[in-house]
Amino acid sequence: MSGVAGEGSNPLEQFVIEPIVKLHIGSVDVSYTNSALLMTIAIVLIAALLIGGTRRAALVPGRLQSAAEMAYEFVAGMVRENIGHDGMEFFPLVFSIFMFVLFGNMLGLIPFSFTFTSHIVVTFALALFVFALVTAVAFVKHGIRFFGFFFPSGAPVVMAPILIPIEIVSYLSRPVSLSIRLFANMMAGHTMMAVFAGFVIAVPLFGFFPVLINVALYGLEVIVAALQAYVFTILTCLYLRDAVHLH
Amino acid sequence: MAGISFAFAGSPRLDRGVARHYGARRFGRGAGAYRAMSEGEPSDPLSRLGEKLDRARSRARAGGSGPAAEGGALGFGLRIGIELIAALIVGVVLGLTTDYFLGTRPWGLIAFFFIGSAAGVVNVFRAAQGLGRGGRPPGGKG
Repeated sequence: MSGVAGEGSNPLEQFVIEPIVKLHIGSVDVSYTNSALLMTIAIVLIAALLIGGTRRAALVPGRLQSAAEMAYEFVAGMVRENIGHDGMEFFPLVFSIFMFVLFGNMLGLIPFSFTFTSHIVVTFALALFVFALVTAVAFVKHGIRFFGFFFPSGAPVVMAPILIPIEIVSYLSRPVSLSIRLFANMMAGHTMMAVFAGFVIAVPLFGFFPVLINVALYGLEVIVAALQAYVFTILTCLYLRDAVHLH
Repeated sequence: MAGISFAFAGSPRLDRGVARHYGARRFGRGAGAYRAMSEGEPSDPLSRLGEKLDRARSRARAGGSGPAAEGGALGFGLRIGIELIAALIVGVVLGLTTDYFLGTRPWGLIAFFFIGSAAGVVNVFRAAQGLGRGGRPPGGKG
């Protein structure tokens, strides 16, 4: 929500990427941007939460330890429930994804910060990573039998020329839907808030009304931020389960 | 949009002028509700803790009911829409790529457009199927 809409300001202005430290390797632009800064902050905060929470582990947890344990239990429960007990080998990965997305969404709600999950480049890179990993896991665990995944069991063989392309496209659409869901939710919510913030100036006498709506929207956005992190993670779990158990 | 109704429900109380301990009153109400809820349980703190633990354990074993999947109708509608669109995007991109490399100008796009639409419907069907089972896979078979 950096786009606190001034007169005629663009509600999409908040999504602009600005280089902080300009860097070029060859012709490739690898500048350290506001997006990268927020990612760094997210990682530092996650590390601080977990290290600080476990450093002085007590039987009766303090606030920090309680938060860290809640996050751990939540993701561990999700992994156990969706992949099964043998899925705990993926726990570090799933936990990292969850915390990264959650902190990205939440930090974006701080005024004048930046939401890196509102960029499809970021979410698609995450989703593509998950997709590549899931496919690799399926190949390692099942080898050539993985291709059986693309033919629904019990279907007549005559249908194969139609069913197999459909299943392959359906499989390939997973990272796309995964990334679009997160990016669209974040971007839509933040744009909506900036638009309503713009109304405060546009409507001179009843300016308090858009503010009320924005307060409500802000609450909604907090829910959406947590929910989308949850959805991203649970879909990762479900894809991993498909890869581990195959059918 | 529970948030909006909260904002309005909260505002008349603000100008009533009786403003006494908002926080404390709220907290008291919450604690009362909690006490009412756990009525009929043994008052011995240890056995109460034991019961709580049992409940937590059974919840962990049963696999939890899980949080309300995807937050209501709007979330579900958005999810269905995205499933449909995503497959279509993949289909069109595959079609265009095929055409670009094989030089089969319109046919690859046409074929993959229909395959993409079909895959989109399959995705939607799976997502809708999973609804009743508490957020089961959009891509899961089984």
